[in-house]
Amino acid sequence: MGQGARKAQPNGIEVEGLVREFKNGPRAVDGIDLTVEPGEIYGFLGPNGAGKSTTVHMLTTLLPPTAGSARVAGLDVATQGAEVRKMIGAALQEAALDPNLTGREHMKLQTALHGLPKAQRARRGDELIERVGLSDAADRRVGGYSGGMKRRLDLALALVHGPRVLFLDEPTTGLDPQSRASLWAEVTRLSVEDGVTVFLTTQYLEEADQLANRVGIIDAGRIAAEGTPAALKAEIGRPSVEVLPVDPARRPEAEEILLRFGTAVPASGEALSVRLNDGIEVLAAIVRSFDSAGIELASLGLNEPTLDDVFLAKTGRHLEGAGEADSGEMPLPEAEPAGAA
Amino acid sequence: MNDSGQNMYFSAARAVAWRYLHNLYSKPAVFIPGLVFPLFFLAAFAGGLSAVGDTPRFDYYDFTAFQFGFILIQASSLAGVFVGFSIAADFEQGMGRRLMLATSRRSAILLGYAAGAALRLIVVWVIITGVSLLAGMEVRGNGYDLAGMYMLGLLSNVVALLFSAGIAFRFRSLQAGPLMQMPVFIALFLAPVYVPQDLLTGWIEPVARVNPVTALLNGARSLMAGEPTGILLAYGVAAGMIALLGIWALRGLRKAEMAG
Repeated sequence: MGQGARKAQPNGIEVEGLVREFKNGPRAVDGIDLTVEPGEIYGFLGPNGAGKSTTVHMLTTLLPPTAGSARVAGLDVATQGAEVRKMIGAALQEAALDPNLTGREHMKLQTALHGLPKAQRARRGDELIERVGLSDAADRRVGGYSGGMKRRLDLALALVHGPRVLFLDEPTTGLDPQSRASLWAEVTRLSVEDGVTVFLTTQYLEEADQLANRVGIIDAGRIAAEGTPAALKAEIGRPSVEVLPVDPARRPEAEEILLRFGTAVPASGEALSVRLNDGIEVLAAIVRSFDSAGIELASLGLNEPTLDDVFLAKTGRHLEGAGEADSGEMPLPEAEPAGAA
Repeated sequence: MNDSGQNMYFSAARAVAWRYLHNLYSKPAVFIPGLVFPLFFLAAFAGGLSAVGDTPRFDYYDFTAFQFGFILIQASSLAGVFVGFSIAADFEQGMGRRLMLATSRRSAILLGYAAGAALRLIVVWVIITGVSLLAGMEVRGNGYDLAGMYMLGLLSNVVALLFSAGIAFRFRSLQAGPLMQMPVFIALFLAPVYVPQDLLTGWIEPVARVNPVTALLNGARSLMAGEPTGILLAYGVAAGMIALLGIWALRGLRKAEMAG
């Protein structure tokens, strides 16, 4: 174990050379190293089967590592499992709830499992049920809850004992946008106000981009890239702008305008594209230039590097479902193309 | 374990027991089979086969009381087996993972299920005892004898529970149900069920002689009759099986931990 791993962070995560090999199977996790700072939201991004959940299972003591080491809140997951479990909360991919219990009964069960003093249990349960917006449904059996309600209850259950590190395994999969946004807000609040370290796995680029302070991209059991979303995107390159003139005859003029702002890059179909010399702040100037030249545009797209581009650059493949979750495309309304005035 | 650790441990065990009983209460379909089986056997054996009690050299004082000894051990054992079903169902449906995550010392999970099973068993005992008394069962043992007899029932429950829990933890699927149930059924019926051990002949006689259930059954029947014999053997056999199957169950729990 390296020097870094020995210096236990109070509520951080330190992983070194972590491996999990299943019998007669490939290495689900193949020697990953990562560090999550206390109070940080760490997004663990990868496609299905990349090893995200297996990593979470090892870090939450549900699965022993085959090799390597991991310390959560300064405690070794392999040798101090009981102590680790006191420090962590986890909402796993499939909310493990009993359909026969009500939301409030789940809180009662969970507070007792964690050994909270009896006097505190009901109060703590009610407080968390209210925080996740389930007060009205608290006395209904969970079997009748929607997917979003189950996720919120699962999150509340993960918080009963005031964990210092929270693991969320694809917490918003299958949620509607409103439930997703409310869960994101709660996760951000936990990190910012309560100082909880959050380890969040997701396949949604947008989720990692918006929530995470830092992102680790995992593919085939290995970390392909790690850093802040902005730094990872910056590694890939500057944004590009793609335009399609309404009148093909004005294509050369349009190209001339575009080249003032950047260098030509391949574009799709009849469109023209340049990689911007500067950042996206020149976008307004580009629009004004086309406007003053009287060139009508059928579309204008800004292509900022996305985490999917990062994934593509690092692994040679697109992340599954990337298109639906994160796109820098900004198609103009057809009725009013740029330069139409 | 310090005081705080002990409190957490027993709090977790109580929580598991509470949920087990809550689910029995809210889902009677889970509770009823464990009650119907013994009552069916009581009706079939003590009612339909009562003439067996007139067999020459059948020296037990009352055929219904004789059968009650078996019904008690059978009901107690089946109640233990049904806990294995609950554990397997919990793992299959994901609740097992919640329990594993939320419990710092995971043996508390097993203790919780066992405590829940014991409380369930009391209800079963009350019902089968009540029905047997209504059917005219004569009780000759005194209070201590009966306490000893029910204690043997409880130990049978723990034995079956540890056996089935070991399987449930290893397979973590309800498909393993027959593996939990069949060996217990077979062991129960390879004991002197219908007649005293002395009257057994043929291949069943040597099998029954080495079957550990025979010691429990003979002990329970002697206590019911108020003439305790072979009690040390019965308790010794139960303790030995609990020790062995305790290791089996805890190793199963360890396997469940290893499997994630």
